[in-house]
Amino acid sequence: MAAMQRPLKRTIAIAKQRACFSSLLPSAAAAAAADTVAPPQLPPFDHQPHPYNGPSADEVFAKRKTFLGPSVFHYYKKPLNIVEGKMQYLYDDSGRRYLDAFAGIVTVSCGHCHPEILNAITEQSKLLQHATTIYLHHTIGDFAEALAAKMPGNLKVVYFVNSGSEANELAMMMARLYTGNLGMISLRNAYHGGSSSTLGLTALNSWKYPIPEGHVHHVMNPDPYHGAFGTDAASYANDVQDHIDYGTSGKVAGFIAESIQGVGGAVELAPGYLKLVYDIIHKAGGVCIADEVQTGFGRTGSHYWGFETQGVIPDIVTMAKGIGNGLPLGAVVTTPEIASVMAQKIQFNTFGGNPVCSAGGLAVLRVLDKEKRQAHCADVGSYLLERLRFLMERHDIIGNVRGRGLMVGLELVTDRTNKTPAKAETAVVFEKLRELGVLVGKGGLHGNVFRIKPPMCFSKDDADFLVDALDYSLSKL
Amino acid sequence: MTVFLATRLVLRRSPPLLWRRSFSRAAVEAEKDTVAVPSLPLFDYSPPPYAGPTADEILAKRREYLSPSILHFYKNPVNIVEGKKQYLFDEKGRRYVDAFGGIATVCCGHCHPDVVEAIVNQTKKLQHSTVLYLNNAIADFAQALTSKLPGNLKVVFFTNSGTEANELAILIARLYTGCHDIISLRNAYHGNAAGTMGATAQSIWKFNVVQSGVHHAVNPDPYRGIFGSDGEKYARDVQDIINFGTSGNVAAFISEAIQGVGGIIELAPGYLPAVYNTIKKTGGLFIADEVQAGFGRTGSHFWGFEAHNVVPDIVTMAKGIGNGIPLGAVVTTPEIAEVLTRRSYFNTFGGNPVCTAAGLAVLKVIEKEQLQQNAFVVGSYLKERLTALKDKYELIGDVRGRGLMLGVELVTDRELKTPAKGETLHVMDQMKELGVLIGKGGYYGNVFRITPPLCFTKEDADFVADAMDLTLSRM
Repeated sequence: MAAMQRPLKRTIAIAKQRACFSSLLPSAAAAAAADTVAPPQLPPFDHQPHPYNGPSADEVFAKRKTFLGPSVFHYYKKPLNIVEGKMQYLYDDSGRRYLDAFAGIVTVSCGHCHPEILNAITEQSKLLQHATTIYLHHTIGDFAEALAAKMPGNLKVVYFVNSGSEANELAMMMARLYTGNLGMISLRNAYHGGSSSTLGLTALNSWKYPIPEGHVHHVMNPDPYHGAFGTDAASYANDVQDHIDYGTSGKVAGFIAESIQGVGGAVELAPGYLKLVYDIIHKAGGVCIADEVQTGFGRTGSHYWGFETQGVIPDIVTMAKGIGNGLPLGAVVTTPEIASVMAQKIQFNTFGGNPVCSAGGLAVLRVLDKEKRQAHCADVGSYLLERLRFLMERHDIIGNVRGRGLMVGLELVTDRTNKTPAKAETAVVFEKLRELGVLVGKGGLHGNVFRIKPPMCFSKDDADFLVDALDYSLSKL
Repeated sequence: MTVFLATRLVLRRSPPLLWRRSFSRAAVEAEKDTVAVPSLPLFDYSPPPYAGPTADEILAKRREYLSPSILHFYKNPVNIVEGKKQYLFDEKGRRYVDAFGGIATVCCGHCHPDVVEAIVNQTKKLQHSTVLYLNNAIADFAQALTSKLPGNLKVVFFTNSGTEANELAILIARLYTGCHDIISLRNAYHGNAAGTMGATAQSIWKFNVVQSGVHHAVNPDPYRGIFGSDGEKYARDVQDIINFGTSGNVAAFISEAIQGVGGIIELAPGYLPAVYNTIKKTGGLFIADEVQAGFGRTGSHFWGFEAHNVVPDIVTMAKGIGNGIPLGAVVTTPEIAEVLTRRSYFNTFGGNPVCTAAGLAVLKVIEKEQLQQNAFVVGSYLKERLTALKDKYELIGDVRGRGLMLGVELVTDRELKTPAKGETLHVMDQMKELGVLIGKGGYYGNVFRITPPLCFTKEDADFVADAMDLTLSRM
């Protein structure tokens, strides 16, 4: 450890010297230096967007402010009017192209307007848009079968819903019914939904309204970077046991975690954490729920599901976002034994498993396989992480680079020792990146983490452009 | 974890430790002959003959007619029929030193004449009428009680128990702040009604029912806690809970200055002031649960929270407040108290004439007999003696507490702090045979709780320590 620290300290010292030296440059010299580095250019892309003749950004914005809830928020000082999408790119009303490094919040998995998915949606829409599960239709069964085939162990029963929040709601209810217990446990820094029940599981004060959140507790986040115990999974797992011993009846309904925290800023869990915790939870009579809303469908590169990176098999898996490349679709997969609890009463979801979304979801699974998107995430993701880590050596303000595959986080801090969130700087760089043509996400409790989770068709050229844009933007601070 | 523990156990079985253990055993053998059977301190009172039902008959009726959840201490539960000062008498007229005080409740001593007189006189005059009419007893007691509290803590609500007091305090905090979330400590005990069960944090006391809007922070336990005596580090967990587990605002933080049921755990130094600041920044209220630590029991102060240099927004109390009469209270500021006028709030027996007359008498006795000072002097002495026992017996892992609120934790391995559950039960029973009634607590049930009536003397302290010494020497 000491040996590893030494090179890092030297690098920081060199970086600081460079910074000092830079600040001593005459302004003319600084200006000259700036002129010599040209802004990076978007990779070539063979597509001409349709001419746009709809309402202007100002008109759209005015309507939003007048007719939509005040909580609907937007990114950027000058919000973007996005009118077209193609694979990993988006176009605004002036025809300008942007690299979408956020994918509509980790949702567009195969790429914007992927032709095979569009075809599945339009064909099914022409044939039968909606009929309800009261009658039979082949698409829901076909999709469930294909989905179950991707799951390990006895995770073979699927419930379809319309969002990740709905999926997590259902999973929580199953956990309570199956175990006969009430207490749920989630991680601090987690995001599991914004509905009244899942808001309890969510643990970021910026998302939590002050209403009763039900029987839920939040244990220490096994965050290797900010956590009290670094990468020591056992110490974080002890907090779960401690909570069960003291904060519950000794029995719990379930534990839920994202394998990599999405909204929380692409935080990976300390290695080995889930394995330890799943054991603790099972001994307390609870079930383990893996929230794969963001980490699923091969995004982590090394595995199809995020939980597989921790070597565990959950009792219940929830998914949404990437599952439908943007269609309103979510699912809960569990064992037949656990699933049977839902038969105690009537459970129904009007749009759950509707023909169009099922056909779209099935098409997504096929595209992911055919185009080998998981392997691609491993390949391009590793390359991107490598380049970002190199960037961290050049810029002191980058405190941490983390993630896996194409689920990447870049945390900005003003002080590496204290890990002080660089909120203002993040906002500035965020805007600068947009000007350069990069749309990136923002997360973490303090909004100082760039979330980089592009469509999985993101290429190495895109990765280069993104990193070059970051490098350029950070140099301008 | 199992492998790790096994490895450590294997390592610990190396010759040097075996030698030490052998030496300890030899020393214990030698000590056995020198530890005399202690005699109860002299007490000039002979109980009248008991003519009521036997212990067996009573136990049979309890099993038949009372809730199966009613538990009892001792293999042969003791049938207590009379009490006097710090002593209790069983059906055979045998005397016991009451080192538990009916669970930190009898503070002036059993059947203290001044308290009994106040109760009898008030009962003969007016037992109950309701606060819908006036009566001087409730007003006089409220005035006397608030004169004991610092700052602007000048408004009293009377209840009939600590649980009720904490329920009310939590309600007040939620109304005042407009927030729902309460933060308490793991290992805390604040009651067992629907609301307070949430704040209580030990699995044995928490039924599997909905408990909403409560968070349990890491316990700032200097002995077992992950951060030792570093109060600031524990306090960060409270900030973490607020940041991640709430909307960023909370209704209140509630804690016992010394955890009673949890095994007499003092909070790490610096913890409460740090948490106080955190809570105030988020607009929350600070509730001090003084149900056990209040009324001079800690010796150095009248209230436990005073040892931590914070002035709470709300203080709850019960147990010692009435020397055993069903009485509890919530004291807060006029500003905060105002919230209960938003709707109707009423408590039928709250502040009834008999209980408030008794409460006032208790306050007078504590002052007149200087029981806080006595708790300090005798408590310090007893703690010293218990600490000396720790030096003598490996089985004692920790001695802690203040005044006459003391805990002795038994462990089979000092390094691993393995709870000595079986040994604790054995010692408890043996001490009863010697004439000492002691309490038990802590998550593992391996902590002796010593919370006797505050009229406890040094001779009583010697007796308790000697009885423990003899019992441990025989193991």
